[in-house]
Amino acid sequence: MRVRTGLTGPFPRSETLVAATRDLDRGRTTPEAVEALYAAAEREILALEERLGLDTITAGYLRWADLFRPLAETWEGFTVGPLTRWFETNTFYRQPILHAPPVRVPGALAARLPAALRGDPARARVILPGPYTFAGLLDNRSGETESALVHRLGRLLGEEVRELRGVGFATFQFTDPWLVVRPPDGPRAEAVVAGYRAIQAALDGGTSIVWTYGADAIPALGVLDRLPVSAVGVDLADTDPERIPEGRDGPSLGLGVIDPRTTLGEDPMEVAHLVRALEKRRRPSSFWLGPGMPLDLLPYEPATRKVQLLRSAREALDGGGSA
Amino acid sequence: MTARGLFPAQEIGSLAKPRWQLLGQRGEPLDEQARGELRAADARLGFAGELAPARDALLDGRSREVGAETVRDLAALFFLRYLEAPGLHRVYDGEARRIEMYEYPIRQMHGFEFQGHVRSFDSKYYLKAAVTEEVRLERPYHVEEFEFVRTHARAEPKLPITGPYTLADWSYNEHYLARQRGWKGRTARRAAQREFVVDLARRAIRPTLAALIAAGCRVIQIDEPAAGTHPDEADLVVEGFNAATDGLDAEFTMHICFSNYRDLLPALLEAKRCRQWAWEFANRDSPEHDGYEVLRVLREYGDTREIGLGVLDVHRDAVETPERVAERIGRAAKYLGDPGRLWINPDCGLRTRTLEVARAKLEAMVQGAALARAAIESPRR
Repeated sequence: MRVRTGLTGPFPRSETLVAATRDLDRGRTTPEAVEALYAAAEREILALEERLGLDTITAGYLRWADLFRPLAETWEGFTVGPLTRWFETNTFYRQPILHAPPVRVPGALAARLPAALRGDPARARVILPGPYTFAGLLDNRSGETESALVHRLGRLLGEEVRELRGVGFATFQFTDPWLVVRPPDGPRAEAVVAGYRAIQAALDGGTSIVWTYGADAIPALGVLDRLPVSAVGVDLADTDPERIPEGRDGPSLGLGVIDPRTTLGEDPMEVAHLVRALEKRRRPSSFWLGPGMPLDLLPYEPATRKVQLLRSAREALDGGGSA
Repeated sequence: MTARGLFPAQEIGSLAKPRWQLLGQRGEPLDEQARGELRAADARLGFAGELAPARDALLDGRSREVGAETVRDLAALFFLRYLEAPGLHRVYDGEARRIEMYEYPIRQMHGFEFQGHVRSFDSKYYLKAAVTEEVRLERPYHVEEFEFVRTHARAEPKLPITGPYTLADWSYNEHYLARQRGWKGRTARRAAQREFVVDLARRAIRPTLAALIAAGCRVIQIDEPAAGTHPDEADLVVEGFNAATDGLDAEFTMHICFSNYRDLLPALLEAKRCRQWAWEFANRDSPEHDGYEVLRVLREYGDTREIGLGVLDVHRDAVETPERVAERIGRAAKYLGDPGRLWINPDCGLRTRTLEVARAKLEAMVQGAALARAAIESPRR
């Protein structure tokens, strides 16, 4: 059984970085001083990812204000709107407002990726919004229908993938919780599949992972199973693993095995047991394990503690221990 | 106290702290701006009263000598007069002694460990604790704060307190979740959250409410801003509310804001001792969208409780005109079918606005209520 591990969203900022960014807002420190702390924090997270033996690295995406901002602030057609609750959490994003069909600006997204990832793009996990979540959560004043917009965003994301593939990035995660929170059907489902097809066409042998959370994924499996991607991730904090239906020789299965809504640690033996059970029942080609919801729902210290599970669960699986 | 007719007005939450309070309680001498603001406020409201020597010491640059607690007393007096001046019937102290609504209550309890800061958005963070043992109250809180208000308020005092559901939702649930067997999925998480909410309500909030009532508190607003975060947990909000108020005799209101109220109904209606729903409406009211129309739903359910009607958008500096306020009141009264059930208030605390803007809004609110009252009492023929 092949099991790969990696972070699936932003890592929390350290208490030092929290204090520094607050000080910056209050004019008590300089952008240069905060930048130096960001760079140091990214190195620390890369070192943590190395220690945990993760297959993909992220450097924490510490500077990203929210999932959409790197695109909403660089692609043409957007302004950034009001604070809006991020699913059922006490965190918020600024809702992008789309005034006209969006236009990608070459190079702009790449410039926003954590600098620390550019040194090892082959192992980096590029995290982007999925087209369905992006289209569903923005304020669409462009006149385009939601289905057309999903497809268009898929094509634009595909262009980003093509550009990043050109400089060596190989693994792309599309965070698409809206797929399970509001499963698409009819023309919208077709638009989602078409959007991901456009992304897949640009992958050129790379890996694409769709990551979901926020609701039970079972009702959305009809569309998730149709996505032309390398792996689909579901959050086991929201999806009962025993209800995931049987399958045969499907794509990789992503499992959110860390729940950042609690500081309580997960049991690696229990996770290993779940993975083995799903291997028998679902028969995926491999597994991707990671946090379900974004890990920055936790403060830095508990996140650092809980993420150790990714190593211990893999050790439990490698060691053949039983729960 | 102003005589209460139709559409009495009330405060709903915290206000921005004046610069003289912030500097003064840090023991720093007031700068020119802060001194000017303190002088102007006292000239307008005459609030210092028995604390005039403390006011004078602050103006003389002797903040350290005054001490943080006395500065807060002075600020509480300021806010009482600030809210009473426009003619509000129910007031509090602008939450002058509070800096937030989560950390302070949690620090009055055993069983929690603070974990660090979580980013809310951009570079804004909040401190979050985990419940690691059974909740136990160290001592009832807000009581001295209320006693000061009761002693000095001229209008009817109303105390706001964070509700059990919100305290639980804003904490990590370790202790109660660990007691659940097996994989900690949705079912286990919900069962653990229920235990946590009810424990908080019974062991911490209820004894605090009882102490407040014993101190003379008659009107208590239980704040549940987290209620809208997980609409499918509205029954837990209710269970917490009912457990917290069980057997207590006071006028309880529940404040929820920035939520889709339809999603919380009808579950919320089971909050038996809640006499008033204090909700936000103005924020969502525009020419394109009727923010008050949701009141029809309450009528459809036959709910006859009072409404604390949010008529001021707390996120915009633009001051509502009295006519706009009156129109909103009239519309809400029509949806409810009973104007006598309406209290008038801002959507939420006005602390995101300057004190000047907040004051202008409150004045417009009271004037708007008077217009609406006049329209009902002397309708045009």
